[in-house]
Amino acid sequence: MKIFGYELRLLWRDRAAWILTALFAAVSIYGLTNGAGLAESLSNATVQIEDSGRKFDAQVRELLARQNLDPRQVARQPLPAVLPRAPLPALAAGQADLAPNFEMISLFRLEQQTDARSELENPSRLLSGRFDLAFVLIWLFPLFLLALAYDLLAGDRESGTLRMVLARGVAPWRWLLVRTLARGMPVLAIALAATAATAFVGDPSGALGRMGLACGVVAAYGIFWLALAALVNGFAKSAASAATAVGAAWVVIVLVIPTWLNLLVEGLHPIPSRAELVASAREASGAAERRGGEVVDSFYKDHPEWAPATKQVDFMARALAVQEEVGRALDPVRERFDTELSNQQRIVERWKYVSPAIAAFEALTDIAGTGYWRQRAFKDQVATFKDTVHAFYSPRIHQKRVLSKADISTLPRFEFAEENAAGWRMRTVWAVLGILGLAAIAITLAARRLSARALATLTS
Amino acid sequence: MIFAIARKEFVDAWRDGRFRLGAFVMVILLATSTLLAWRQTERTTHERAAATALERENWLGQGQKNSHSAGHYGVNVFKPVAPLSLFDRGIEPFVGTTLFLEAHRQNQAAFAPAQDATAMRRFGELTGAVGLQLLAPLLIILLAFGSVAGERERGTLRQVLSLGVSPRALVFGKTIGLGAALACLFVPAFLLLFGALSSAEWVSTADVGARLGWLALVYGVYLSTVLFVSILVSTLAPSGKSALAILLAMWAAGSVIAPRLASDVVHASMPLIALADFENEMNEDLQKGLDGHDPRSKRMEEFTQRVLRENGKARVEDLPFNFRGLAMLESERLAGEVFDHHFGRLWDRIDAQDRAVTFGGALAPMIALRTVSMGLAGTDFGRHRHFAVAAENHRREFVRVLNEDVMKNASPENQAYAAGRELWEQLPVFALDDVGLERVLERARLAIWILIGWFIASGMALFWAANRMKASAA
Repeated sequence: MKIFGYELRLLWRDRAAWILTALFAAVSIYGLTNGAGLAESLSNATVQIEDSGRKFDAQVRELLARQNLDPRQVARQPLPAVLPRAPLPALAAGQADLAPNFEMISLFRLEQQTDARSELENPSRLLSGRFDLAFVLIWLFPLFLLALAYDLLAGDRESGTLRMVLARGVAPWRWLLVRTLARGMPVLAIALAATAATAFVGDPSGALGRMGLACGVVAAYGIFWLALAALVNGFAKSAASAATAVGAAWVVIVLVIPTWLNLLVEGLHPIPSRAELVASAREASGAAERRGGEVVDSFYKDHPEWAPATKQVDFMARALAVQEEVGRALDPVRERFDTELSNQQRIVERWKYVSPAIAAFEALTDIAGTGYWRQRAFKDQVATFKDTVHAFYSPRIHQKRVLSKADISTLPRFEFAEENAAGWRMRTVWAVLGILGLAAIAITLAARRLSARALATLTS
Repeated sequence: MIFAIARKEFVDAWRDGRFRLGAFVMVILLATSTLLAWRQTERTTHERAAATALERENWLGQGQKNSHSAGHYGVNVFKPVAPLSLFDRGIEPFVGTTLFLEAHRQNQAAFAPAQDATAMRRFGELTGAVGLQLLAPLLIILLAFGSVAGERERGTLRQVLSLGVSPRALVFGKTIGLGAALACLFVPAFLLLFGALSSAEWVSTADVGARLGWLALVYGVYLSTVLFVSILVSTLAPSGKSALAILLAMWAAGSVIAPRLASDVVHASMPLIALADFENEMNEDLQKGLDGHDPRSKRMEEFTQRVLRENGKARVEDLPFNFRGLAMLESERLAGEVFDHHFGRLWDRIDAQDRAVTFGGALAPMIALRTVSMGLAGTDFGRHRHFAVAAENHRREFVRVLNEDVMKNASPENQAYAAGRELWEQLPVFALDDVGLERVLERARLAIWILIGWFIASGMALFWAANRMKASAA
């Protein structure tokens, strides 16, 4: 404890440390406000869409209370499926600037291969990525920690202080660990404060638990990098070689492994071609339309309960039958998309501990609600909603049944259901444990290294 | 003397275990990633070609129908893959690949590959370009940080200078020697890529060789600049340790922080229009006209009167052609003006943002390098815009042919008129005439000048530092 306080006092007098700490505080604040700005603009963009959807829904319900409606008229209006604002968006932009956060669902266009639109954005900006808090925490935070702690032992050895300290009987590994921790303390504290602040950007209700876990991830990640600095200190012969080693470690862990894993994942499980899906969809619908009458006949063979009382089939019923036929043709292709994407994510899940940067990034986007899992849930729920819309309107249109008061309660409406908390908590806790495990390995190696050669080589 | 020093430096570099290890790791990484990217690019090229062929079949086999209905049936075009995207993927993952061409509407390209990816994508991809932009400078720093500072620390600098070696010869000899050691690494890699690309059957762009040559040149200028700066810092810094710390900090600021910071700052000061506003404004202009005075109905009414006057008839039914076809041609023309205005404004804005970011290259040359590299690889916004414009021209031509057919053949007596395969075959398959190298270079001019500026400035600074060393080292 004495060493800890002593080190903090040294740090207090170190001008370079002050500059680094101030710089880190500045980038953290910038990242925080920048990320919060993105969340703001994204949720503003969907407000209008959500409002118009709600208004229409209310109108239909009100009308139905008084009179019957033709389902064909009601089904014409596309229904918005909106992904609500993420639970902790200021923490990480993740895929939020890229993945669409709403989709218009229309009964007669369920199989249309149109893009679910995302906000207009300069592609170069998507390429560079946002300067959000996650960028500060995953990329820059380790750099600052390493800069503060990379040359503790080597520097002491070069200046001769080490010999004097060890002569007083302090265990070298304890000496190093405590000092490293102390050096990292201010930056770690700022990182945690910035992470905690994300809960108070916008609505803090429900965000506190997520924020707590995010702090856990950040602390574990920081400890990992400090442990790595300690390990390098144990091995490095000079300050320059320590700098080289920590620099190389940062590059490998934060730049090389993630980008390489990304390439590997996409190489192993390539996503099928969207171009082919689009063209096949048109092929399938062309074929179905050409066989028009035949399709309708076979459709009623499959769904005798939906066949209209009079044999006459109207244009819309026929369009629905054709659409269902197209859907059947496309299902396997779509399934391949889903399977390959799941496969990719599975590899990421399995290999993320190779680099704590991946584990921490995945955990932060997961907590923020801007990562794979929430987007995936949205996609799945939209798909289910399409089925609901189809199952609600199709039989009524085929049988020429009107919508009545009795239908109000089952009128389809999209409501995004957040994943139950156990899911993301489990994933995040595992990530924290994984990162801490890696830190423990680094600490053990450093301690063993230092005790083995402690007095003999270190001071010679 | 310079060459003796250069040779010594060259041999030293290759004897240095750290450099050998770094070089080895880098070669392995870049080789595997280029191979993976090669496979992916080849596959995508085939996939898009297959989809284009299938879509052509769909179009030809759509059956008999009114030619305007065929305009609504429309056609999908797919953005051709630039072969050099295997070296630099640029913005390709983040822009749409499929564009639906239909009557009445100009659509945006849909389905950006990154939307079908895990969030890992945001770490970026390890391509040849990323390797040379981010990792190669680190290797150079590793090689050069101690070049002069190390000799000063060991005391050999004083000895060498006391032998009468001019400091200028020493510094330039070192620069040449280290440069040669690096060239041994990168030049063969470029030649290998060049050979592989020129013999690959799926590569169709004729100027791939020239583009690759330019890429080699531009990266050469950039990496030389990094080498100059590294030796400069090593000359000025008091110790090897501080030279390394300064260089690593410069690297992190220039390569990791600067690109994000530059794009965020630029976008904060010149934001892009929101999607909803873009569409609302465009729809409004479609209804009211660009000047906002005359509603669409009034314009069409005036047009009808003019056509009747010119043909000396009183009723549209008396015209010798189907007036509806002509009216659709006119309304497409009016809509075209609105689309040109709005899409033009949007794209100009994106171009302006990109240019402003490129100016940031004056502070961090990596940003300028990225601009040039994407341009030459054919994966920048310039080519994407080129594709979108070419596809839109194709759409207008195709809608025009269909509407003219309505005008000529769907006469009032022939209400049930339906065109068939013969007409569909008259419409050509969309083929992108790629952006020429000259236009690419024209677009990248600012960035190229910035890189040259850095090259000259860093060279001159090194020259100045070498001259100055005489006094301080003695």
